[in-house]
Amino acid sequence: MKKAWIHTVIVLCVSLGIGLFGADIVKAHKIKHTPEQLKAFEDVFMEQVRIGDLLFHGDAATEKKMGTKLSRTGMACAMCHPFAVDTHPYEFPKFQEQVNKFSTLRDMINWCIEKPNEGEKLDADSDAIKALEAYIIWSNRGSKLDPGRH
Amino acid sequence: MDKQDRTKRKITSGMNAAKGDGTSGEGITRRTFIHRSLVTGAAIGAASQGLFPIISALDVAYGAQEFRFAWISDTHLYPKTLNTRFVEKAERAVSDVKAMKPAPDFLMFGGDLAQLGDPVELQLGADILKNVTIKKYFIPGEHDWYLDMGATWEKLFGRQPWTFDHKGVRFIGLDTVSHGPDYWSARKMTPQERMGHMATLDGSVAGPWAGVGADQLQWLGKTLANWPKDKPVIVFTHNPLYEYYPPWNFWVRDWRDVQEVLKPYAKVTNIHGHTHQVLYNEIGKMRSIGMLGASWNWPYPPEGVPALTTPMVRVDSGDHFDGVGWGKLTVTAAERVDYQYMMWRKDVFAQTQVDSGTGDNVNQILSPRIADRP
Repeated sequence: MKKAWIHTVIVLCVSLGIGLFGADIVKAHKIKHTPEQLKAFEDVFMEQVRIGDLLFHGDAATEKKMGTKLSRTGMACAMCHPFAVDTHPYEFPKFQEQVNKFSTLRDMINWCIEKPNEGEKLDADSDAIKALEAYIIWSNRGSKLDPGRH
Repeated sequence: MDKQDRTKRKITSGMNAAKGDGTSGEGITRRTFIHRSLVTGAAIGAASQGLFPIISALDVAYGAQEFRFAWISDTHLYPKTLNTRFVEKAERAVSDVKAMKPAPDFLMFGGDLAQLGDPVELQLGADILKNVTIKKYFIPGEHDWYLDMGATWEKLFGRQPWTFDHKGVRFIGLDTVSHGPDYWSARKMTPQERMGHMATLDGSVAGPWAGVGADQLQWLGKTLANWPKDKPVIVFTHNPLYEYYPPWNFWVRDWRDVQEVLKPYAKVTNIHGHTHQVLYNEIGKMRSIGMLGASWNWPYPPEGVPALTTPMVRVDSGDHFDGVGWGKLTVTAAERVDYQYMMWRKDVFAQTQVDSGTGDNVNQILSPRIADRP
């Protein structure tokens, strides 16, 4: 009986400790972001949008810097998608007819690079494809999410 | 709000209502459309509007002479070493025009022969078009102009504006590209940089470059002064002569001034390139017909598509001959311009919203680009 009582006290103490420690962590996360932090987050994002915009518009210097070959025909993404129109990032993932499989936006970007543009496809986790994705989604911000729509 | 604004708003509201049932605004189903086309041999463009060129008593009463001409534009040729696709398509358009029987009275080239204004590109285009031996007329596009400010273009194809009368029609060719504001001098751009900005449809640097300009407006007024108000006038331009979508220069910025000059004339038809898509509108008494590009298809912009346009089908970007082509135009005995899109595919017009090049974008909200802003 005494043993059980001691055990209960230990459990309570440990729980209380975790609770207090946990409460501290939660409290730490509740500290408001400073304007400087928010600006830093925004800057990181918009820099990727800017790089994606340049790649999307066939900027040779950015392509060289990123080590990409997105087209061998002279065509750039923006020549079929000015303002990123008809890219429909809000519809992915979905079955994409041209790709003939359940696809992400990155799959579709790579299809356009390889087929109409006759370029070299990007690694699905590459900086270039992340930047292209950032630009396309940023351009379509405010559009209604409608995944799966063809 | 002036009369033209009211007209445009009416057209826009009509567009929303017409597309609500998921079919084309005119209620022509795929089946009836094909049937009517087969029966009448109708011009496809006219058919989409429900305007079938049936030889009627009215035509006979006019007794005017019907004739045809061909249109090619927006070939956007690169040097052959870079891109052979556009060369193939330009050659195919030329070959198709040559195969027309009877031959058209003339070929109109509507601008953007080259992609970056390179003399090599322009000469390539001139060589391809030499194979058409009927009379040819030319107006420039912005891609032909801004590398050397039209020097090579004028050497190869002459100057604009121009006019001629043919079988009771006054034809006019305008230059809507060379009056752009100077965005290059202060920034000390090279000719290649100037051309690069001009060649980016959704760029912000070149600004509202499309315009007719005061000098041509004056010339247009003088040129039409001796023309009967009830006789047909056909005006060729690279850009549409109304406000469709200014951010992509799908307009001329002085379109209201142009309309003022054209207003007294009852039968004005504007035929234009630049938009690379199936497009039709009416502003005041002027009909406006947008022709296909021979190189690639521009998508419809996020807003401003005229209600009178029956949209083309969504293009298969895996087939580079899809969504592009050239055009046949017929001036009927009733002095009306019928048009036929010679698109290298089976179906031209969308029959359902989901297959429409514009009607399916119900969730789309877009923003302009940022990377070319200061």
